[in-house]
Amino acid sequence: MTSPQETTAEVPLRRLLPRVPDRFAALGAVLIVLIVLAAIMAPWLAPYPDEPRPLEGSLPPGAAHWFGTDQLGRDVLTRILYGARTSLSIAVSVLAVSALAGVTLGVVAGYAGGWVRDAIMRVTDVFLAFPALLLSLALAVVLPPSVTTVILAIAVTWWPWYTRLAASVAASIATRPYVDAARCLGVPAPLIVWRHVLPNSLTPVLVQMSLDAGGVILTAAALSYLGLGAQEPTAEWGLMVQQGQTLFTTNWWIGTFPGLAILVTAFAFNMLGEGLRNALDPRARKVT
Amino acid sequence: MIEVRDLQVRYAGRLVAGVPELDVGAGECVAIVGESGSGKSTTLLSLLGLTENADISGHVRVCGVDVLTASPRRLREIRGARAALVMQSPQSALSPATRLGVLMRRALRLHGVGSGKDGRLDEIMAESVAAVMLDRAILRRYPHEISGGQAQRFAIALAIALGAEVILADEPTSALDVTVQAEVVGVLRRLREERDLALLLVSHDLALVSTIADRVLVMKDGEVVESGPAARVLTEPSHPYTRELLEALP
Amino acid sequence: MTMLRAERVTLGYAGRAVVHDVSLDITAGGVGLIGESGSGKTTLARAFLGLLTPISGNIWYGDQILKKADMRKFRKDVQPVFQAEALDPRMRVGASVAEALAVRGSRTARARVPELLEQVGLDPGLATSRPHQLSGGQRQRVVIARALAAGPRLLILDEPTSALDVTVQARILDLIASLDTERLLITHNLAVVERLCRTSHVLFAGRVVESGPTRDLLANPAHPYTLALRDAVPKLGGPPPQARGVTEAVPAGTGCPFRFRCPLAAPECERPPALREVRGRQVACHRAEDVLATGPGSAP
Repeated sequence: MTSPQETTAEVPLRRLLPRVPDRFAALGAVLIVLIVLAAIMAPWLAPYPDEPRPLEGSLPPGAAHWFGTDQLGRDVLTRILYGARTSLSIAVSVLAVSALAGVTLGVVAGYAGGWVRDAIMRVTDVFLAFPALLLSLALAVVLPPSVTTVILAIAVTWWPWYTRLAASVAASIATRPYVDAARCLGVPAPLIVWRHVLPNSLTPVLVQMSLDAGGVILTAAALSYLGLGAQEPTAEWGLMVQQGQTLFTTNWWIGTFPGLAILVTAFAFNMLGEGLRNALDPRARKVT
Repeated sequence: MIEVRDLQVRYAGRLVAGVPELDVGAGECVAIVGESGSGKSTTLLSLLGLTENADISGHVRVCGVDVLTASPRRLREIRGARAALVMQSPQSALSPATRLGVLMRRALRLHGVGSGKDGRLDEIMAESVAAVMLDRAILRRYPHEISGGQAQRFAIALAIALGAEVILADEPTSALDVTVQAEVVGVLRRLREERDLALLLVSHDLALVSTIADRVLVMKDGEVVESGPAARVLTEPSHPYTRELLEALP
Repeated sequence: MTMLRAERVTLGYAGRAVVHDVSLDITAGGVGLIGESGSGKTTLARAFLGLLTPISGNIWYGDQILKKADMRKFRKDVQPVFQAEALDPRMRVGASVAEALAVRGSRTARARVPELLEQVGLDPGLATSRPHQLSGGQRQRVVIARALAAGPRLLILDEPTSALDVTVQARILDLIASLDTERLLITHNLAVVERLCRTSHVLFAGRVVESGPTRDLLANPAHPYTLALRDAVPKLGGPPPQARGVTEAVPAGTGCPFRFRCPLAAPECERPPALREVRGRQVACHRAEDVLATGPGSAP
């Protein structure tokens, strides 16, 4: 006597959230909420939002400037808060673009199967054949350095993963009896994909997105660090680390605090993603 | 071999299984029947101390060990050796990358069976596999290469090799085709007679139970509603629920 | 003429045949398809539902080959009832039933949902529930309601009750028996077939090994596999179930597919047996007469 088994894919995310018992995941979630709030509230939170550039040069951390000031005399904390806006919007844009393209293609490939699937998967294979960072670098070199470039360069290497993931999930959903039942009712294929396959394929993709956010932020920071992404005066963590690097021995705080911001944010997304993944794992779910 | 008095298993205060009395002697077969949610599997698991996060009260002795108060070490001694658990789909419990023979040998060593001389170990393995009517060649196979019925019989062979005196079986045949079920049931019946094994069977299948069990407990919503000799319970049921179950048989 | 008919169909996936050269009419009074897991019965059902195109042979829908038939009409006429898991876990069950109505272009789709739920013995108030909030039996009733929404003349039922508790199973069977449609019932449960199907076909290794009136077939099997199946079913208070022959040998590639398991196997079984008429039945066994002689007894 087995009760109907729900697979990983079909567990609604909503039902998982209260069940994430994992303290790390909860910590990750809290951190992310704080970071997002900080980014949104930057103009109000930042101690020196519209600071005219003072002339005294870099100051160490102190009461007036908790994280010190950079080589141009700007408050590092202020720039980190504004940098959160840049990093998060890059992460959100990259993931949105990749997931939209990736999931659309993946769900179609997974449901249709046959030559449609083969064609789509071969294209993604081509993209996956290049080392991701190299491809991003190459694109970033060709395009003028900017935040948009960073988004494009990373998204191009990121979407194929979502295609793969969505295709494999959708292929298994497509064999479910309820999909067969819809086919037997004569529901047109596009409607079946939209109504049954897509919603039931989404949960693993969302989990993957939260796992990936940290990686995107790291990659974006790396591109900016190399001078291929955000440009002065945009506040961007990778760029700030790069600027602080040369001064590390004398003015360690310029690069260290943005570096920590990158670390904490990437880590927070990872913890949340891991937690969600564990909650999704049927072996971790309570047997009743 | 199994002696249960006033067993109550609760999860978060809710009674999931309550069994006032249950005895299984050597060579006997007792069955617990019921539908999903009746508490029959919980009862079985609690006898081996395998219920997690449950509050258990009462008195349970298996192979002479007081399960509810025994130390984890004592429990391990009976669990898997003197009292073996046979589940619905044993294949998932077999490590996929290990040949069955290796698996069995490890289990035997772990429990100190036939230690020292390898020849003795091989003998035990060969004999137990033969006892469940499997070919010796199966010891060279990997778990995914055998069928459900073979896996179930291998699980039983493993129990015998380990010197099990009690077999606790949870829906051992409900994932199998009827012809295969007949064979597995045949093996269990024969072992019970030849080796005086005590058999506690949990099943939803009244017809199956009626052909093998000496005594039957009928459970519903965590409580035993009727118990007694199989022949009586299944032909002259006194509880309306038992009657309903029997009438539902197609 | 029967509504749906398989004519020498061979079916499979990725070029590997699972069902070989099967001919079968879905006749009136209920048709049972019996066999163990892997016998090809579900594959055959998928072909009848138009979900799988035969490698060779044809599925006939009336006087037309299914591939070329009016699919709108076919989808209305023939509906599946799968196991209770056949509901989208995210959809409210009322929406699942309404989907079936909407496809037929019924503008008042939502309005008819309560009526259909009542017809299958469910409280119409359950329409707003999601599948996981219902019991297995309730889910199965929803699955039936959705199939009925199309107004089918034939239901193809694939193990409709095997995941349910016996008491629930009995009520679902009552419901199925009360429906005014033709049915093809796929199951491993002989008692269910006996109750719901006038005619039965026994499948082994993708081949029909015996066909005939269900009652005769189970009372006195003519094929050793039918006999083995029947005797393996435990009967209340009856003798212990019998395992006849070897139960798990791989089906033979040549000759009679059952011969490695068959207690009556003889040298002539190296030749593949053709289906032949024996006492009002179709049997694919060289020794059908001997089997008939050994196996009379009570049906389960």
